[in-house]
Amino acid sequence: MKLYISVLATIATGLISVSTWAEDPISYSRDIKKILSNNCFECHGPDSQARKKTPRLDVAEGAYAKTTGGITPIVPGNPEASEIIKLITSDDPDLMMPPADSGKQLTEKEIELIRQWVKEGAQYEAHWSYVAPKQATLPSVSDKGWVSNPIDQFILARLEQEKLTPSVEADRRTLIRRVSLDLIGIPPTPEEIDAFVNDKRSGAYARVVERLLNSPAYGERWAGMWLDLARYADTKGYEADRARVIWKYRDWVIKALNDDMPYTQFTIEQLAGDLLENPTEDQITATAFHRNTMNNDEGGTDAEEFRTAAVLDRVITTMQVWMGTTMMCAQCHDHKYDPISTKEFYRFYDYFNQTEDNDNNDESPTYWHATQEQKDQIAKFQKVVNASNNIIKKVDESLKTAKEEKVALNKEKQAAVKRRDFVKPQLDKIMASTVRTPVMVELPDDKKRTSHILIRGSFLAPGEVVTTGTPEVFHPFPEDAPQNRLGVAQWLMSEDNPLVARVTVNRYWEQFFGAGLVGTSEEFGAQGDLPTHPELLDWMAVDFMKQGWSFKDLCRTMVMSSTYRQASNVSPELLEKDPANELYARGPRFRLGAEQVRDQALAVSGLLSKKMYGPSVKPFQPEGVWKIVYNGDQWTKSEGEDAHRRALYTFIRRTTPYPSMLTFDATSREVCTIRRIRTNTPLQALVTLNDPVYVEAAQAMARRILKESSESTLDARIQFAMNLALGRIGSEPEIDYMSHLYAQALDTYKADADKAVALSSSWVGPVPEGLHADELAAWTVVCNALMNVDEFLTKR
Amino acid sequence: MKDFNLEPDMEHMRDMTRRHFLRTSGSGIGAAALAMMMGQSDNAQAADDPLSSVTHFAPKAKRIIYLHMAGSPPQQELFDYKPELIKWNGKPCPDELFKKERFAFIKGHPKILGTPYKFDQHGPDGTWISELLPGLASMAGDITVVRSMFTPQFNHAPSQLLLYTGSAFPGRPAMGSWLTYGLGSENQNLPGFVVLVSGNTPSAGKSVWGSGFLPSVHQGVQCRTTGDPVLYLSNPKGMDRSMRRKTLDAIAQMNELKAQEDGDPEIHTRISQYELAYRMQMSVPEVMDIAKEPESVREAYGAEPGKGSFANNCLLARRLVEKGVRSVQLFDWGWDAHGTGPTDDIVTQLPKKCKETDKPITALLRDLKQRGLLDETLVVWTGEFGRTAMNEERNGSKFLGRDHHPGAYSMWCAGGGIKQGGNVGATDDFGYAITETPVHVHDLQATLLHCLGINHKKLTYRFQGRDYRLTDVHGNVIPEMLA
Repeated sequence: MKLYISVLATIATGLISVSTWAEDPISYSRDIKKILSNNCFECHGPDSQARKKTPRLDVAEGAYAKTTGGITPIVPGNPEASEIIKLITSDDPDLMMPPADSGKQLTEKEIELIRQWVKEGAQYEAHWSYVAPKQATLPSVSDKGWVSNPIDQFILARLEQEKLTPSVEADRRTLIRRVSLDLIGIPPTPEEIDAFVNDKRSGAYARVVERLLNSPAYGERWAGMWLDLARYADTKGYEADRARVIWKYRDWVIKALNDDMPYTQFTIEQLAGDLLENPTEDQITATAFHRNTMNNDEGGTDAEEFRTAAVLDRVITTMQVWMGTTMMCAQCHDHKYDPISTKEFYRFYDYFNQTEDNDNNDESPTYWHATQEQKDQIAKFQKVVNASNNIIKKVDESLKTAKEEKVALNKEKQAAVKRRDFVKPQLDKIMASTVRTPVMVELPDDKKRTSHILIRGSFLAPGEVVTTGTPEVFHPFPEDAPQNRLGVAQWLMSEDNPLVARVTVNRYWEQFFGAGLVGTSEEFGAQGDLPTHPELLDWMAVDFMKQGWSFKDLCRTMVMSSTYRQASNVSPELLEKDPANELYARGPRFRLGAEQVRDQALAVSGLLSKKMYGPSVKPFQPEGVWKIVYNGDQWTKSEGEDAHRRALYTFIRRTTPYPSMLTFDATSREVCTIRRIRTNTPLQALVTLNDPVYVEAAQAMARRILKESSESTLDARIQFAMNLALGRIGSEPEIDYMSHLYAQALDTYKADADKAVALSSSWVGPVPEGLHADELAAWTVVCNALMNVDEFLTKR
Repeated sequence: MKDFNLEPDMEHMRDMTRRHFLRTSGSGIGAAALAMMMGQSDNAQAADDPLSSVTHFAPKAKRIIYLHMAGSPPQQELFDYKPELIKWNGKPCPDELFKKERFAFIKGHPKILGTPYKFDQHGPDGTWISELLPGLASMAGDITVVRSMFTPQFNHAPSQLLLYTGSAFPGRPAMGSWLTYGLGSENQNLPGFVVLVSGNTPSAGKSVWGSGFLPSVHQGVQCRTTGDPVLYLSNPKGMDRSMRRKTLDAIAQMNELKAQEDGDPEIHTRISQYELAYRMQMSVPEVMDIAKEPESVREAYGAEPGKGSFANNCLLARRLVEKGVRSVQLFDWGWDAHGTGPTDDIVTQLPKKCKETDKPITALLRDLKQRGLLDETLVVWTGEFGRTAMNEERNGSKFLGRDHHPGAYSMWCAGGGIKQGGNVGATDDFGYAITETPVHVHDLQATLLHCLGINHKKLTYRFQGRDYRLTDVHGNVIPEMLA
């Protein structure tokens, strides 16, 4: 343990001030591991097959040992006697390491670091994330007044060390917009802003935070993040990409988050709800998490091939989401960087290989969401329909030979047809109102599959038989846990698991601050980034566990910190010193996510529907986007408020995702995505400028201005618009820019009535009585502009 | 992200890091625009890496046009001439051809299907080409036919994914995305990776032009021939270009003010991206407007303005590469020749598809050649896998057709770096197994990247702790294909 703390300390001091490196002793974790991992471990790491008979360099036992050829890769303290130093400095193409044809090459600096490390004794250290987190003593700071909670103490200690001071707290308008977008995904209303600005009692901010955490919109916002991990979509993927009814699962996630279901339960129900004693409908629905894998309905596919693919995906996704570990390499060969063997991969696979689903077109097994009453009624109707059909069939048979009985028979037939035609529509209706969700169902013991190592991941090449087990490098499987998915869930959420809390806390930090304390939020293994603030990460991880794995508590701790509340503007000096804000001397400032961009536009225009749950909706999408082979499904635009639901209810077709969301870096949900990469592209500009969804929002917002602004002067209306869009009062030059734009637009539209009508009403509907098309069109231009300024698209 | 390949004319940017751009982006062009030009990504991961560790060799080709016949044409009817099959026509196939094999649809003991079409030898190497492709036959001296392609994938979607992303499962970047990431774009007013589709979207969906884990700036942009050529390109009804300009000016003024107050360089990036969007509103419709071409050219391609045809897309491909677009990807639907009916058989449908495509492809090759563009443009024609030597006869169908066969198929390529008039590889008498120079999909990718000046092992991107590349951990350049 001592060793580990010293590792953390070296990590903590070494990350940004590169200049201090030379003076500190070389640290394996901080300085060496990544170099070796990037350049050597592919052949000299954990993968025994790739290693063949050559030395293993990721552990001391391998590196210090004399080979059969009599050479020693590393002689601690003696670079000259160490073979690796000879090879990495060699010019001989037959000898040099990494080999000439590997595409890899060490830099001078890297070679120097390795030489120095060997000279200093070549000490190996355990990988930081595999050692259980502990809460360190809170560091002392000078400016105690700034500290709101322990987060700040860690952040400030580091800032003081760097001779930096934190930024002032953001003004209230900025703060309430930031925290609303973060916690519920939609901006505050002008009334909410006023209430906060005018709340002079202490604890005003805390009250805003509580209101937001208790809002049903909280669950919708955070479900968005979870559904990326769950690769939730409304179709099955691959060629036919037919619709899949699995929205009950999405609704389950929203409800669970709103109820602040502890992460342990949240995990157990999704991975193994079906294995709990007397599982409830909700607990079974939760298992749809792993039924979000793709199905291949393409003609001529082998169901076993794609069932295997789905199980592999479940293994990989589980390890990604809970362990921050990339396992997919190990499906074909021993992991090259982390000590996970192929055999261990398939032992873990065995847990997930025991469910009934089999890439069937009908998605069986499914859970039928019907009440007993509905089920009884369906049974009753079905009985009538079946009986009528039987009569009709029999009568038809008899009619073939009948003579004088014909009249009576025909009467009987007519009556049966009438009965059937009366009942059938009712049956159809009630059937349509009850849905079936694909869920996990464990195979009975006598039908359990035998799992094999699949050679190179191919279902056609089964190798050695394996049985359940978790990789040895991780914490032990709980003794009392069953050897099935339920046991896996318990293993993942065990307090002995060094990864799960860190990985989760880091993912939340990334949502609030733009990047994780571990930048590679998807990878905590050898190839991942080191944490910028290891002690803070561990403090939060332990706290998260102590607080009973509450997501709301976790959010609260982060947003209540002074660190989060800082203003986000940055001086050139600070930008120079810390361009990526890794020291947190300022608040977060980055572009909103795809869902937030859309929801915000709908919210400020007044169009946003508050309706929650239910089947996914199809808001406007340009014609011709859906043209899919072997599938006649059409994008039929949803009507009424369903056209303006929050983004997370939008139907996601994996092969053709909703295009404007994709442009803002949403994913196709084909596979689990831990981290979306933020971009800034011209296609995004085209969306918010021209996509009819945003044009309609501008048109609707224009109407709001004319109807709701209490004063009718131009300046007052512009202020009203600024307040709606940006949650603040405009400065003088801003008012000038906007009134100038308005005046130019008004001139244009006064001169051209057709254009005025088109721009003011093309999407939102005819100009209401009492309003003028030219003025409305000019306001539409202004609103379109406001919805495209950087500030609107940015959390700041 | 460490290893990077730049074009020679971009070498002056070698020493600059992205972070440097971020700091200096106030001076005009935005960081992301520059990053885009350099094919660099917009994420923090990329931030630190200097571009100085470049290893590259002189590219022969600068651009690529991919012609994909979605569904997979039968090689036996087009390039892989097998007299033996004609002899065996209608006879039950030898056991070794179907025992132990997996088929999508064939059941029982299938019968051999000989081609009903005539073949002749063309070009300096005597390339066998079927009578269905007379135009291409006249260009035999410019193309190299590979008859020994193979893929491990057996269904349409996974094999298309493998061909374009290097993996049969979704989530990886498409080759076009790799190229804009690695080489950047030569034209700032057009997307660097354009996709043109005639008929349906290909089986694997938009993943075959998705950017996977690369930043979405590298995504393929589908240009459409009906509606907006690029989604959301047109201003809303009632807003003309001059009003749009005024709006953008006001947006820029607001942003400039905020940039001064907030100091975030990303704001300047956004300003420049809006300007780029404005320029695209002009440049995209312009390049997409084939009415601007002389009638003789349109006629040569068989292109007609306003249609979503493959012919139009071929002409567009030339217009796009001429403007410096890095990758142009065409998909044409209707090649899945199972023989279940007249719309997917080799007697009615296949000649129809050949007729639709032979003329424009020939015109494209000629046109590129005449303009001196063929030397620096790769043109690749392919399906996603091969088809069986046997008649499929699904449910006793009387129409002739062939089932999926991943073990061998034919494709051709031409242009920068590719041997002119060559033949690569061979198959056995039944066209079933490869007997000479097997070319795996990853080998093809490695070879094409080679022509573009890229060592496929060095164009990498760090994701989930691993350096990913298009060719995964495989791929060898096939010297037989090179000039």
